[in-house]
Amino acid sequence: MVSYAIGKKRTLRKVNPWPYIFSAPFLIAFFMFSVYPILFSFQLSAYNWNGISPVRKYVGLKNYIRLFTGDTLFMKALGNSALFVVIIVPLQLVAGVVMAYALFRFEKGRRLFQTMNFLPYITTPVAIGVIFAYMFDWNSGIVNGVLTHLGILKENYAWLHEVWSARMIVILMCLWRCAGYYMTIYLSAMLAVPQEQCEAAEIDGANSRQVFFRIILPSVRNTTVFLMITGLIGCFQLFDEPVQLYSGWSAGVSNVGGPSYSVYTVIWKFYTDAYKANNAIGYASAEAMILFVLIAILSLISFFVSNRKGDEDA
Amino acid sequence: MKRSNHPGQVLAYILLGLISILSVFPFYMIFSMGTYKTADLMRGLPLIPSNYFVENVKTALSHNLLGSYANSIMISAAAVVLALITSCGIGYALAKFRFLGKKLFYTLVLIGMMLPTQISVIGYMIEMRTMKLTGTYMSLLCTWIAHPFSAFFMAQFMKTGVPSEMLESARIDGCSEPGILIRIVLPCILPGLATMATLIWLWSWNSYLLPLIAINKPAMYTIPLMVANLAAAYSTDYGAQMCSLALATLPILILFICGSKVFIRGLTAGAIKG
Repeated sequence: MVSYAIGKKRTLRKVNPWPYIFSAPFLIAFFMFSVYPILFSFQLSAYNWNGISPVRKYVGLKNYIRLFTGDTLFMKALGNSALFVVIIVPLQLVAGVVMAYALFRFEKGRRLFQTMNFLPYITTPVAIGVIFAYMFDWNSGIVNGVLTHLGILKENYAWLHEVWSARMIVILMCLWRCAGYYMTIYLSAMLAVPQEQCEAAEIDGANSRQVFFRIILPSVRNTTVFLMITGLIGCFQLFDEPVQLYSGWSAGVSNVGGPSYSVYTVIWKFYTDAYKANNAIGYASAEAMILFVLIAILSLISFFVSNRKGDEDA
Repeated sequence: MKRSNHPGQVLAYILLGLISILSVFPFYMIFSMGTYKTADLMRGLPLIPSNYFVENVKTALSHNLLGSYANSIMISAAAVVLALITSCGIGYALAKFRFLGKKLFYTLVLIGMMLPTQISVIGYMIEMRTMKLTGTYMSLLCTWIAHPFSAFFMAQFMKTGVPSEMLESARIDGCSEPGILIRIVLPCILPGLATMATLIWLWSWNSYLLPLIAINKPAMYTIPLMVANLAAAYSTDYGAQMCSLALATLPILILFICGSKVFIRGLTAGAIKG
């Protein structure tokens, strides 16, 4: 690797090898275990293959065509995932930023609140699925128990068996799990905002709402972008929680996708196609590629829209 | 901002308190239910712990709970070490050097942060098979060697947390570059290291899809796989099921509560500015 030292006169100088040596392990592993597998998956998406047989049949774009024209279940899963993203990501952001701002305003008890609310994020999503499956169980779940006790519900409601209540539970799980994480990240960003700025505004007569919208929110814009992109990606990858919701406690409805596939996500469909039902490795690769393109487009849009002023000077 | 008797603040306190209770309540539920005999569990709301805890623990331990724990601890520890080594390297390069290709490397890290790991899983698993690593823990660990988020985080942390003058004077004193990284840069960013280590530990500990595909021997199960199989293992013994769930989740929670001070300080040190 030949390089010019970056100086005013662009004098040819001995290249410092250290940055390359320090970067090499990461970059090599990155290409081996992230970039290559994606390219490989992309190649496989043009084949009909069960993953084992030595024969791969080249089918060109047929997998993609079938996904978009012949596979209603895939479209349904895609729609479900999109729905979850559209509902969950904004909810998480709002919950996180509001909770963080509430905490930002007092120091007493801040760490206690932070720690308590971070606990769901630490918990294995699989376990969260099991816990929620129990809580919303038709017969012995605590939600029905409390609601009938208080007289709000006349009889037990089958939360897990109805399309929209099932979706609501999935949304609730994500919100419950991530709100504390969003709050913690937002709070650390808010604490980096110079205190004098807020105090000066308050002396000038700004109320806390104005401080929030005029000073805090613009200052944590980068954090919002970061959380939005990672939230988007995480939400499109939703798998653990809905799967456990329908395979654990409430074995009565043990089926794929919940009531009429209402919580069947893209990754769930992908997993079923690739490893569970029919070993359609090529077909599932095409599904993964569609999801990949979708996520890439959405991330890039949110990245460029909000980073036009580009302030990282790397 | 000291107006502690402001009605809005009291309301905020109450709301935060309620939200926090909601955050913790399910944990209390599983713990409390884990102390019940299954037959009693169905009779009412199991809010007060009962007296069947020891029996349930015995049942849980007989299903390789400890083994899964050991597996998960081993894998997560290795993942943390691997990810931190590579990301400290590239983080140092990106934060403190000017070199040709820096912009490209940085862009690669940013793009990497946007690549969802689950999407490459098919190609990755076939790659593992070609490398004869199927069914070994290496097939789980390879995904952690290059962790773009961690690299990004380290670069940010080193950029702000390590004064460049210190590096210059060490260079003048004849310290080698790896020596500078280990003896000067790393001690400066200990809170960042601790925070990143915690996050990687958590993500690796909780990951489900990849172990589900890669690991097929029950003796090699990680905690999420074990939890997912609880229902099958004790299909009717809900008390034992909940008890195992409690045992599988609570120790990590307690560990986190003990270390939360360092973890939150690391986040607050201004590293995540996205």
